[in-house]
Amino acid sequence: MDILTGLLHGFSVAFEPANLLWCFVGVFLGTIVGVLPGLGPPATIAMLLPLTFSMNPAGAIIMLAGIYYGAKYGGSTTSILMNVPGESASVVTCIDGYQMARKGRAGAALGIAAIASFVAGTVGVLGLMLVAPPLAKFALSFSSPEYFALMSLGLALVVLLAGRSILKALLAALLGLWIASIGTDPFSTTSRFTFGRLELLSGIDFIVVAIGVFALGEVLGNMETREDAALLEMPSGLRNLLPTWQDLKDCRFAFANGSIVGFLVGTLPGGGSTIASFLSYGLEKAVSKRRDQFGTGVIEGVAAPEGANNSETGGALVPLLTLGIPGSGTTAILLAALVLWGFKPGPLFIPEHPDLFWGLVASMYIGNVMLLVLNLPLVPLFAQVLRLPVYVLYPLILGVSMVGVYSASGSMFDLGLLMVFGLLGYLMRKLDYPAAPLILGLALGSGMERALRQSLMMSQGSLSILVSRPISAVMLSLALLILLIPLFGKFNAWRLRALES
Amino acid sequence: MIVRTVLFVLAAAGLATGALAQGYKPARPVELVVHTGPGGGSDVLARALAVMAEREKLLPVRMVVVNKPGGNSAVAAAYLAEKRGDPNTVGLFTGVWLQTPLVSAEAKVTLRDLTPVARLVLEPAVIAVKADAPYKTLADFIEAAKKNPGALKQSGGSNTSRDNVVRQLLQKATGARWVFISFPGGGERIAALIGGHVDIMVIEPEEAGEHIRAGNMRVLAQISEHRLPGFPGVPTLKEAGFDVPVVPQVRGMVAPPGIPKANVQYWEDFCRRLTRTPSWQKYIADNQFEDGFQNAADLTAFYEEFTGRMRDILKDAGVKIVR
Repeated sequence: MDILTGLLHGFSVAFEPANLLWCFVGVFLGTIVGVLPGLGPPATIAMLLPLTFSMNPAGAIIMLAGIYYGAKYGGSTTSILMNVPGESASVVTCIDGYQMARKGRAGAALGIAAIASFVAGTVGVLGLMLVAPPLAKFALSFSSPEYFALMSLGLALVVLLAGRSILKALLAALLGLWIASIGTDPFSTTSRFTFGRLELLSGIDFIVVAIGVFALGEVLGNMETREDAALLEMPSGLRNLLPTWQDLKDCRFAFANGSIVGFLVGTLPGGGSTIASFLSYGLEKAVSKRRDQFGTGVIEGVAAPEGANNSETGGALVPLLTLGIPGSGTTAILLAALVLWGFKPGPLFIPEHPDLFWGLVASMYIGNVMLLVLNLPLVPLFAQVLRLPVYVLYPLILGVSMVGVYSASGSMFDLGLLMVFGLLGYLMRKLDYPAAPLILGLALGSGMERALRQSLMMSQGSLSILVSRPISAVMLSLALLILLIPLFGKFNAWRLRALES
Repeated sequence: MIVRTVLFVLAAAGLATGALAQGYKPARPVELVVHTGPGGGSDVLARALAVMAEREKLLPVRMVVVNKPGGNSAVAAAYLAEKRGDPNTVGLFTGVWLQTPLVSAEAKVTLRDLTPVARLVLEPAVIAVKADAPYKTLADFIEAAKKNPGALKQSGGSNTSRDNVVRQLLQKATGARWVFISFPGGGERIAALIGGHVDIMVIEPEEAGEHIRAGNMRVLAQISEHRLPGFPGVPTLKEAGFDVPVVPQVRGMVAPPGIPKANVQYWEDFCRRLTRTPSWQKYIADNQFEDGFQNAADLTAFYEEFTGRMRDILKDAGVKIVR
């Protein structure tokens, strides 16, 4: 079917009153789930799955997809307001988003997150509609060596996330890599660093570390400095709460960057929104004119990762719908849902069920508009949280963190771990170690180890496999280049000094 | 004093038989424990099962799915072990529950430490290659692997998964040798095969079906005792000339330890009635599973035989066995 007729047909499906209603229910639930840390889209969709058995499949997939991309809109809320990352993909948003809130620009940060989500989310759907089949073929050319190179590129960003000391950033990243190695070795089934605890057999949940190090570390650190009761200044008036025209202009590149990086990484079955958001943040910082201000509350630092996070949804649906291959946890359960409704997701799904595919695509355009309309008015409302005095706000952050961690796993052991990582976050702050590299190392560690070992198994132990494949060679060279940037800086400074004397 | 005690014991015994005669029925909503997070294979089955139980009115109460992820099923097994004697909790086990205690010292609870109730499903599998691969039969592949030991590659799950066990058995029977590469996600395994990065894989028939129809994959053999309805033209391992044991992937129900016999019978009967409902049979057919119902006694015997064989196979594969 031709794209235009397909889309028109899709809109006729999506605009049926019942489907419009399901779309709204989906994005509304998604927003709520996104705002609450812990309970993520996979859990929500799994719980609603039994309800969908009696629904019309088009309405059901429209609603479940609405939860999926709707949750990504709300994910940034607690990151920006409380430094509590709601999901793994909004960890990067904490870096500049929370600093913006501390400067009284929480509204602008929340607003730009919603706008970037809308722009990139829509671009993601466009990509899904226009280039899905050829892109799926490209994604298949990615295998372990390419994933290793992609993650090395991600890890090289450590030098960009570093504060004053590159050495401390590298040490923090190393710690993150070590935490990632805790659990059962997937290749030999050997337990590593589990200290005899069966709770550690499947490793430490990423979100426990992120919430502990970011949110609890922040609360502990601030309690020590005894900030005044009026912690953050909050401008009054609706206009001051939303991003300004200048903000939008500053974010032009971030919108494009987030949209493209997010979509491309999303199409890779081994990608994921966490890597997408880190990569787009790194790219944004690398090309920015005010690189040195990143980490102090720069608006592009919120727009780029939030955009990437949302455009990733469109990308992740590409392998799911064109090949029947799920990349992330949420797409895996969408696949299970399609099977339970009696469909056979696979390479022939789109040609055989154009109603469902085009109805879904059209509903995602509508859903993204709904989300923007739903989220922008919520911005001033959520921003009011910061009017609370610290003796209310800090216990609130602690409570939100603990409920978030417990609702994700239902494990008391994880709550204990949360406290441990909160202390770690506090110590790192005291000793001036940056937290972002630790989280980056943790996010990439196990995937990187796996990809490297898989590559070496493919090549029977020869490292040349990493550089003999073109895509992998290009990305590894880029990673090397990024790692060398600080050295160039040092060299330049030395040369200038030499010239002066 | 003695008389009083005797009377008391008699009364207690009378009460107990009275309770038994009435039979056990869950009085509160039943917790159905699974070892995956929401959205995992067991979780989806559990939620579908809860809906079927409600729709077919198999239970007087509701069934609530409880996720106890972690420890490759060890956390869920330990949770059930803690619920000793609890009449309102049951769990869904899979092959992982049988294998993890064999290889992880931390995973102390085996199926024998719990109360096996019934086996529900057997999941067959097929052996597939990319559609443009030169191998037309499994024998072709084995020949190629013999000529070039260690050069061909198989994508699969962890090294205790059925995928690897099938490889071990075939390698042992034929003397051929190829590499096994673990991919944690099912999607990545398929992507590696149809992207041409590996040569062969063990895949669920339902998943393979669509890739065959689209012309991406070819099936060489099926890991099943009988030919599956979806693959009438594909030989079973035995028919293809490889006399290796068929390794089943199982799913079934397990209860906490220390529950009365009446409870076991109740849940066994629940499973039996469940497997006879049209909704269940449609579910089995849609997924190309085999109805693998077995009662508690047979399941226990199956468990002994299965773990015994598994221990040998994994030992051969170089995996460290801890119990």
